[in-house]
Amino acid sequence: MSQTLLISGPPGCGKTTWILNRIQSHSGPCGFLRLAGYPDEGLLQARDGGIDLAWLQDQCPGLLDLAEPDQALAPRPANLLALIELPQFQPPTDSGLAGVDRRVIPQLEALHLSPDEHLHFGRDHLLPRQDTLDFSSLQALERNLAGSVWDPASLSSFWFELVNGAYGDVYRAKALMNLPDGRAFFCNWMVSREGSQFLPLQTTASPDGRPQRLSRLVVQGKDLDPAAIEVTLADCLLSDALLELEQARLRQQEAPSHPSPAA
Amino acid sequence: MAHAVISCLHANLAALEAVLADIDQQGIDTITCLGDLVGYGPQPNEVVNLVRERQIPTCQGCWDEDIIEGLNACDCSYPSQLAERRGQLAHQWTADQLSEENRAFLASLPMSLWRDRQLFVHGSPNSQHEYLLPDMDAFAALERVESAGAETLFCGHTHRPYVRELRDGSIRVRVRQTPGEPAGVAEAEDRELRLPLRRIINAGSVGEPRHGNTHATYVIHHEDTNAVEIREVPYDVERTCRAIVDAGLPPIFAWRLRHGFEYAERADDASHVCER
Repeated sequence: MSQTLLISGPPGCGKTTWILNRIQSHSGPCGFLRLAGYPDEGLLQARDGGIDLAWLQDQCPGLLDLAEPDQALAPRPANLLALIELPQFQPPTDSGLAGVDRRVIPQLEALHLSPDEHLHFGRDHLLPRQDTLDFSSLQALERNLAGSVWDPASLSSFWFELVNGAYGDVYRAKALMNLPDGRAFFCNWMVSREGSQFLPLQTTASPDGRPQRLSRLVVQGKDLDPAAIEVTLADCLLSDALLELEQARLRQQEAPSHPSPAA
Repeated sequence: MAHAVISCLHANLAALEAVLADIDQQGIDTITCLGDLVGYGPQPNEVVNLVRERQIPTCQGCWDEDIIEGLNACDCSYPSQLAERRGQLAHQWTADQLSEENRAFLASLPMSLWRDRQLFVHGSPNSQHEYLLPDMDAFAALERVESAGAETLFCGHTHRPYVRELRDGSIRVRVRQTPGEPAGVAEAEDRELRLPLRRIINAGSVGEPRHGNTHATYVIHHEDTNAVEIREVPYDVERTCRAIVDAGLPPIFAWRLRHGFEYAERADDASHVCER
């Protein structure tokens, strides 16, 4: 039997992590949709730009993207677990499905999605609540990093500065970042948690030029300084020449040291 | 008699003034400086002028050398592209600011200073750029002191003050006779050399602390008891941070200083030998 869950909550409360755990514990097919959410008074939503979907699809191969029109029209597989993520600052005024933000209903209907259950972080006991913060003011900053490749040590320094307040009071930061060896990392930080997560994607690219996959930085906080972030990014990302230099070294390491005998 | 050893001033005038006041307050009038008068900080001329006015014996640090001779350190100076870019920016800014007179002063500084069997250097006896980290291999550390012929080696460069005693050291060598030696002599002979106590004393950093808080650090060596005191001196960090921004240096330098982080990350490879 199929099930559709709408999961809402404020930034960084653990929606995507909870959804990942649900998907991994479900034996049948799964689908995912991330709604953009709506700004509240003084609180801006960040444009995720596909980070959560890319991360989940990497961790759960075969995960259906429910935002695709083809998926909306196609017959849904039996036993489908459809998970809808909705960033939402304030708790719903009503419990259960009656508390679903009415503004998202048309989007869901267009995609032929009808939630069976609505869970909100901080309200429903089925969800963990220790990371739920009450925000009063929030700016958002997004940076498309498609095709960008980081000097690894510089990424470490930049992330350290970012989450420790060098570019404003950051409450939430997440990103997909490319390294020259073809790996990519999901970087995840929330002010209420200790330390950052640096989770490698399972899919890797060959160390040959700039990877084509999604790469993006999303930051939420107060008094953010986008100009200062840009200056640092420019000093951290590899030029074509340096990328080729590094990747040529990696390719040489990977090449067999002795030619195999001719057949 | 006590003498003070300061290092890594990094153009931070407020920190240097506070440290000198602390030294004066204790009635110490012998001071040795281990270099890096300039670099990253906003007051290179003011700091050099003060060192010259006080006639503090000073050896040349890696930044002092780079300002004179240009940047040509090996990879050990910058562990990341970000650190390298920021270092180059600071280098260019400092080079533009420094007066000819002060540049000549930095060029005149010796690589090392001696007092009896105490050796004063910036990085190591081998190079101003080499880090003698507190956890480096004991044999390598002992080699640096012993091969220089010193009993006590004062250094800086790591920005972390420490005192390391190298005791109970011994070297076992196997001496092999070369062909043509007289017959009857054993082909190989084991010899063990006992090495006396040696010490490495790192003075930390006045202008760019890297020991966990914002206080300037230096050391006092009490020669009568051989005791070493690591001093931490609070200073007006905000005054230096304002000067950084006013000078047009990157605001990130002020943020890092204000939080007790070094301007650029340190090289962490204790086994690295600078190839410069």
